[in-house]
Amino acid sequence: MEHWWYTLPLRLKSILRGRRVEQELDEELQFHLEHKIEEGVASGLSPKQARYAAMRAMDGLEQQKEQIRDTRRIHWLTDFVDDVRYAIRSLRHTAGLTAFVAITLALGIGMTAGTFSMVDALIFRPYPVSQPDDVVTLVSTTQDSSFDQLSYREYLDIRDKTNSYQGVIANAAMEAVGFSAEPGATPRIKGGMMVSGNYFRVLGVEPRIGRGFREDEDQVPGRDAVVVLGPNFWKHEFASDPAVLGRTVRLNGKEFTVIGVAPETFPGMLIFGHPDFYMPLAMARVFSTNTQKNFFEDRDDRELAVRGRLKPGTTLQQAQNEIAVLAQNFEHEYPKLNRGRGAAVHTQFEMRTRGDDVNWKFGVIFVTLGLAVLLVACTNVAGLLLSRARSRKREIAVRLAIGAGRFRLVRLLLTESLILASLGGLLGVAVGYGVVAWFQSQQNVVFMTDLPLAIPFRMDTRVLIASLALSLLSALACGLVPALQSSRTDLVNGLKSADVDLPGRKRLWGRNVLVVAQVSTSLMLLTAAFLMVRGFQHSMLDGTGFAKDHLLMTGFDPRLMQYNPAQTKQFYKLLAERIREAPGVRSETLTQNVPLGTDDFDLDSVAFVPNGFQMPRDRESYTSPMNTVDEGYFETMGISILRGRGFRDSDSSEAPRVAVVNEQFAKHYWPGDDAVGKHIRLENSAGTPVEIVGVAQTIKFQNTFEKPMDLVYMPLAQHPVARMVLLLRSDGDPLQLVQSVKDVVRTLDANMPMLHTMTYEDYYLNKAVKGPGIAVNLVATMGAVGMVLAIAGLYGVVAYNVSRRTREIGIRMALGATSSDVLRLVMGKGLLLVAIGAAVGIVMGFGVEQLMNSMLFNAGGIDVIAYIVVVPSLFVVTMLAAYVPARRALRIAPTQALRYE
Amino acid sequence: MSKPNDLVQGTLDLLLLKILGLEPLHGWAISLRLRSISGDVLQVSEGSLYPALHKLEQEGWITAEWKQTENNRRAKFYSITRLGKRQLEAEAANWRRLSAAISQVIQISEA
Repeated sequence: MEHWWYTLPLRLKSILRGRRVEQELDEELQFHLEHKIEEGVASGLSPKQARYAAMRAMDGLEQQKEQIRDTRRIHWLTDFVDDVRYAIRSLRHTAGLTAFVAITLALGIGMTAGTFSMVDALIFRPYPVSQPDDVVTLVSTTQDSSFDQLSYREYLDIRDKTNSYQGVIANAAMEAVGFSAEPGATPRIKGGMMVSGNYFRVLGVEPRIGRGFREDEDQVPGRDAVVVLGPNFWKHEFASDPAVLGRTVRLNGKEFTVIGVAPETFPGMLIFGHPDFYMPLAMARVFSTNTQKNFFEDRDDRELAVRGRLKPGTTLQQAQNEIAVLAQNFEHEYPKLNRGRGAAVHTQFEMRTRGDDVNWKFGVIFVTLGLAVLLVACTNVAGLLLSRARSRKREIAVRLAIGAGRFRLVRLLLTESLILASLGGLLGVAVGYGVVAWFQSQQNVVFMTDLPLAIPFRMDTRVLIASLALSLLSALACGLVPALQSSRTDLVNGLKSADVDLPGRKRLWGRNVLVVAQVSTSLMLLTAAFLMVRGFQHSMLDGTGFAKDHLLMTGFDPRLMQYNPAQTKQFYKLLAERIREAPGVRSETLTQNVPLGTDDFDLDSVAFVPNGFQMPRDRESYTSPMNTVDEGYFETMGISILRGRGFRDSDSSEAPRVAVVNEQFAKHYWPGDDAVGKHIRLENSAGTPVEIVGVAQTIKFQNTFEKPMDLVYMPLAQHPVARMVLLLRSDGDPLQLVQSVKDVVRTLDANMPMLHTMTYEDYYLNKAVKGPGIAVNLVATMGAVGMVLAIAGLYGVVAYNVSRRTREIGIRMALGATSSDVLRLVMGKGLLLVAIGAAVGIVMGFGVEQLMNSMLFNAGGIDVIAYIVVVPSLFVVTMLAAYVPARRALRIAPTQALRYE
Repeated sequence: MSKPNDLVQGTLDLLLLKILGLEPLHGWAISLRLRSISGDVLQVSEGSLYPALHKLEQEGWITAEWKQTENNRRAKFYSITRLGKRQLEAEAANWRRLSAAISQVIQISEA
């Protein structure tokens, strides 16, 4: 170490103050020389002779200096600096080419970086807790679903009866909670999450201020009304005031005491959501959404995500075995509720890449396409560098001839591509930031909700490192082959002429591969883009099956005001009656969900057995998505009733239970028969019978891409739901009705919040057009970029190849070939390459279509249009690329062509 | 090509360290000192003096400083470092071992 204490300053001085070091060396040697001369003069020589003798004794000043410079051991660096300087100079000479290459690489790297930031957020980013790798997720499994959540009772059993974990925690989904800081204030919707008492302790999250929950605060239902705030909520709602501790706030009308604030480092365990606050599970009665079930007692009320922190040394397999045994015990103890139900333990990675999750599939597809763009960009650049290297052949031959080592030369050429790649990488990171910023700007389109959701894509360190690695890799990929090839130049030939083709097929082969790779990859990209765009158009053209115009929507959740079911029922009854009288209201309805208004997690479902069906042995019931609506729904939404009837006032809570099903459901369970008049039984074959009184037209219910799916409608009067949306059909502008609604609501309860008030058309546009449009735009952009790059690259390579054959063309012409012979010759080759590329590209395109179809949506089959449009355009470009230089070659006189360099 | 009085490889380092171990000197003085102590037996080419000095400096065995000479000129004075003293001891010991061994060999062949 001491060694460095002396030498490091020297090295730094040599590097940073090179000129000074040289001066000092000069001075030192000069000093010596002068003394030597003086000595010579003193011994009787003439000054001139003395000088000469002194110089000889020193073996030459310059040689000395060179030898001394070598002792400084910064060779590698000075060489590199020289290389960089030289490379920059030579790149500046061809500024246009340099810019083109840098931009090309930037597009490729940027697209990949942008999409990688998605995958990073969706898959790889670890939980924001200490030792995140130890945290595993426990799920309940059945034949139909491998990732069911668990009930409170099951959670308690798992927590108390397993040994694999340092602790087992549970949380409910983040849900809308009415929040008010002051007693009289109208509640606002915030995102709250119920968690177990040990949640923060087991995750190792230390509160920013105050404390986390104690275990005993999660033991007695309804006793401990305490709340821990999320970091952002604390900052925005309370201006980061530490005095918030001990304050009383109202959540769904109930008073809670603030006991702590979670740290900035813990925005929550969800990918998209950042809870505003956390409440103990024991307060579930204040927040429970499911009025039909008892959260604390019902073992089949599976609303909890359960996670455990593995003990050190415990393997996933051990935990797995343990939970499997426990699941068997459950099955023995509760055969009715847990028939065929197992359990499993999964890592975070497994949870995020599970089969039924679309997020990461989108990510994977986008990254694949991003990489494809990068591949096209790289082949493009490789082709250009190859051409560039060849036209520099003479320069390289000269360098070799005057003694440059081959390794040294390859190093120089690689330095050039490294500089290009760094330029491209820097610009690429900028493009990546652009892509991410664009994603962020779409936030309001993606999440039309009051909940604290955010797009988590960021250019974080991991993404930046990956982009950097990509740049380096592409530098190598683009630069190595041309560098190696050009340094293998045959000196004699190389010096004679600037650009001759040596016999041998190997060299051409490389370039041909580039053309094929480019054509096929861009074709694949375009296929994907076409599939997206056209699938989207299709879904638009198909129509949705309901009216969208002249509708106002606004949501209510009387639970926020602590209404009991009877009050809730009364509220909706009066609301409907009074708003009906308002001027401009043509019709009104209440619905649990508006069309396209549900996400997977709030899709209500019903378990049933069609009357008289013999259920398979291992199955107790079927399930179907469900929506709860009132009598005015079908008319107001313009959904036609195909057979039977819609709901009526007479379908009251006392009347026999009825349902309307959609056509898809009717066809599914009673193919070729009329569903009207049939019965289904709820839950199991001994359950409540429900008569099907009508069959409604099948509409798009969750998203516009969906395949027709089963749907059951239940009348509100017979199936009360707390959170409903009021839909009004207006004569004129729907927004003019907002005031009327406000007036009516004020007569009922001045504090009742109105949620999500907007025209349905706006909602629809966001949800069905702009939202999917994000993905469509992204893929279309990548397709377009790929296409442009491929065309530019193709043109460059083909045109260059042809122009290099100018002399050959001259000879052919001199020997009597006609222009059409020559054109056929040069074009034929290019077209053959494009044909091969197209064939490969079509196969790859099929593959990508299959992938996208199986992963995202069933746009069905293969989109022929993509190929019909894309393939011929590539051919045209190739022909043009070959034709332009070929024609130039044909125009010049043979004698001139022969002399051409 | 080797002259009989060529410096044995590596001994120049040893000599330089030894000389600078006595007092800090500039290059010219070192060359004079070399000449005077070793007489005509060991001829150090002035051409190899400076590369050797710079090498020792880069190794961290000696360190340099610009100072005024007696006749008021600026010169680069070299002095030995702690690291250099250690190196000197090691090389000197080495040298003694080697020369002892060689003289032993010579005595054997003469006997």
